Amino acid sequence: MYIRLFHWLLVALLAFSWWSGEQHEMEWHRLSGYAILFLLIFRIYWGFVGSSTARFSQFVRSPRSAFTYLQTLRTRPYRATAGHNPVGGWSVLLMIVSLIAMVTAGLFAVDVDGLESGPLADYVSFDQGRLAADLHGLLFNLLLTLVALHIAAILYYLLRLRHNLIGPMIHGRSTIYMEGAADLPVGSPWKALVGLLIAAACTWAIGFR
Amino acid sequence: MTISPSFRLPTLALLGLPLIILPMLAQPLTAAPSAAPAPKAAIAARQAGYKKMGAAMKALNDQLKSGVPVKATMVAAAQTIAATAREQSRLFPAGSGPTAGVSTDALPNIWTDRATFDGQMAKLIAESGKLVGVVNGGNVDAIRAQAKATGGTCAGCHRQFRADN
Repeated sequence: MYIRLFHWLLVALLAFSWWSGEQHEMEWHRLSGYAILFLLIFRIYWGFVGSSTARFSQFVRSPRSAFTYLQTLRTRPYRATAGHNPVGGWSVLLMIVSLIAMVTAGLFAVDVDGLESGPLADYVSFDQGRLAADLHGLLFNLLLTLVALHIAAILYYLLRLRHNLIGPMIHGRSTIYMEGAADLPVGSPWKALVGLLIAAACTWAIGFR
Repeated sequence: MTISPSFRLPTLALLGLPLIILPMLAQPLTAAPSAAPAPKAAIAARQAGYKKMGAAMKALNDQLKSGVPVKATMVAAAQTIAATAREQSRLFPAGSGPTAGVSTDALPNIWTDRATFDGQMAKLIAESGKLVGVVNGGNVDAIRAQAKATGGTCAGCHRQFRADN
């Protein structure tokens, strides 16, 4: 449930960040960025202590196993397994890493007028801040590419492999778990609460110091 | 300057003529070399100027963001912005747009809508001039408001006349 919430909040916040950035609504853009930072910190924490399928140790595999997995996609019928597959794991990792890079660049970014800036921009020079702003934009384009790949893969599963990945991401129920092939992974609410507090404290310290 | 309506037009013209003609005579002798810089030189000069203003604006805003703003730093920044602003408008000669052959974000409408562009430049000069006075006054809230007003003229003009915004 935490991962689903993370995912859809992230989608909404990314859309809002893009919109507010385009409209020069920088106060909103900053707040939206802090919210994404909060989500990312929680996600990293959850990658170590969260439910089994959320953990990095569970879904980050070797590139070799990703290639092996691609070979198995040719066999029909497709049989889904619980959690991220090896290729999906890499996709998640790349998206999280580029998000962290994009948010970090945003923290130091300065606009062309020297008027609007990220909360940590006073630690860098104007030129460095401009560089951060350029990187922020480039990384957004990289992220859009990864998102496009992500959506293309989901459509491939849906249309070619007849496997719906979207439904379970919304309502949390999956045929894999209904057939009893695996236990539905559930994270501890107490650990989640600790993670939310850590993420809130870090975000507060960076954004509102 | 207001003109009293009791003056008749011919009188006005006679009084004003030397004021108009004398600078015109003087200008080719003194100001000609710097009046119309070559397009590429103008682009380089104005880009350097804008960077200087952006850096100064950031320096000023960094001070305002810190708990203890240093007045001397803010005064220097405001003076840089005001002085550089006065230099910028003559650095947009004809032919220094996107066709100049070097990278520039200046949009062609600067030259097709020159009156509006010059109006924006005048606004920048006015607001940045005011900024120097307000910073010297030392009231942090007033400085913050005037820095925002000055930056607003940058942003307003950029949205109209600058690519990549």
